[in-house]
Amino acid sequence: MVAVVTAFSRVAEPESQCIARALRRRDSEFIGRLVSQYHYRLFRYLVYWTCSREQAEDLVQETWLRVLEHAGQYNGRLRFEPWLFSIARNLAIDHLRKQQKATARRRMCREDEAGLDLPAPDFESPFFAAARSEDAKRIAAALGALEPIYREALLLRFQEELSLAEIAQVAGAPVPTVSSRIHRGLSMLQASLGGGADAA
Amino acid sequence: MPLENHEKARFLLHRSLVEGISPEDRHWLDAHVGQCAECGRYADLAARAARALDWFALEPDPAAALRVENAVRSRAEEMRSAESHAKSLWIGTGVAILLTFAGSAVAWHALAWLASQWSLPSRVWQIVFAAFWLLPSLLLALLPLFRRRLLGEDSESNRETV
Repeated sequence: MVAVVTAFSRVAEPESQCIARALRRRDSEFIGRLVSQYHYRLFRYLVYWTCSREQAEDLVQETWLRVLEHAGQYNGRLRFEPWLFSIARNLAIDHLRKQQKATARRRMCREDEAGLDLPAPDFESPFFAAARSEDAKRIAAALGALEPIYREALLLRFQEELSLAEIAQVAGAPVPTVSSRIHRGLSMLQASLGGGADAA
Repeated sequence: MPLENHEKARFLLHRSLVEGISPEDRHWLDAHVGQCAECGRYADLAARAARALDWFALEPDPAAALRVENAVRSRAEEMRSAESHAKSLWIGTGVAILLTFAGSAVAWHALAWLASQWSLPSRVWQIVFAAFWLLPSLLLALLPLFRRRLLGEDSESNRETV
């Protein structure tokens, strides 16, 4: 396992060094290619956090601008993905906090001004929209019900294929916590699939 | 079959998906799942749940992707030009400081030589030296004080012209 990790680090090293150098030099050509290369993965990660395609698209741009601002902090010794995702994560959390505050304020306003009825926000789950089978719809419902930290852990482990240590780096949490989040998320997805199978 | 075996199998199943298990545990798990239909079904569900995330095609809008790419590129260009401007400003400041010191030394020796040629007292040429270096800076420092008056005169003269 250690040998595999070491070999992988050796392979990954030149690419990450290259990215770090290009970011420090503000090489717009390289950065443009980088944005395009990571766009889908970053977008998907942010959809898993926000549960909204529109918000994810906005946050993707903010993430890259933040990457440019903090380019000096990335030295290329570690893989680029965990660093990129940790920036996206912080932005997503800030965004969700602001959204929660705004929702709370709106609720207070509604209580104060009983006559004024604001339209309810339309949050159609992007997972549900993307689900193409019955199983996928069950999973979509389960994903929508999961807290973002569990969705994030599942995505980073099973789709981004990051190691537990890398996920811990992104999430700023200890490895056992990350491991238990994945277990819990997986159990919930499994239960939703199992429920569907039982029903069938 | 003892209950602990099923619990152990489920624990190992999850662990194998999340962080991997040793070959001995894998061997035990495979043997158990082969014999136990319930744990076999559980293993199948766990594998399907792990694969389930691939079922969503969350494709981003290509126009949005292009917009982001262009915005980030232009920001990178802006930052690069701002940084190169700041860099040249720092280099210019450094060169100016160096030239000030070098120029001061040269002027000091030149004035000392001239004073010795003309038999001037040292205080006189030192005052000339100080005035030579300080006068431009003092004038520049005083300029903002008179700027309003100068600008006022300019605007008045403009009004007259109009």
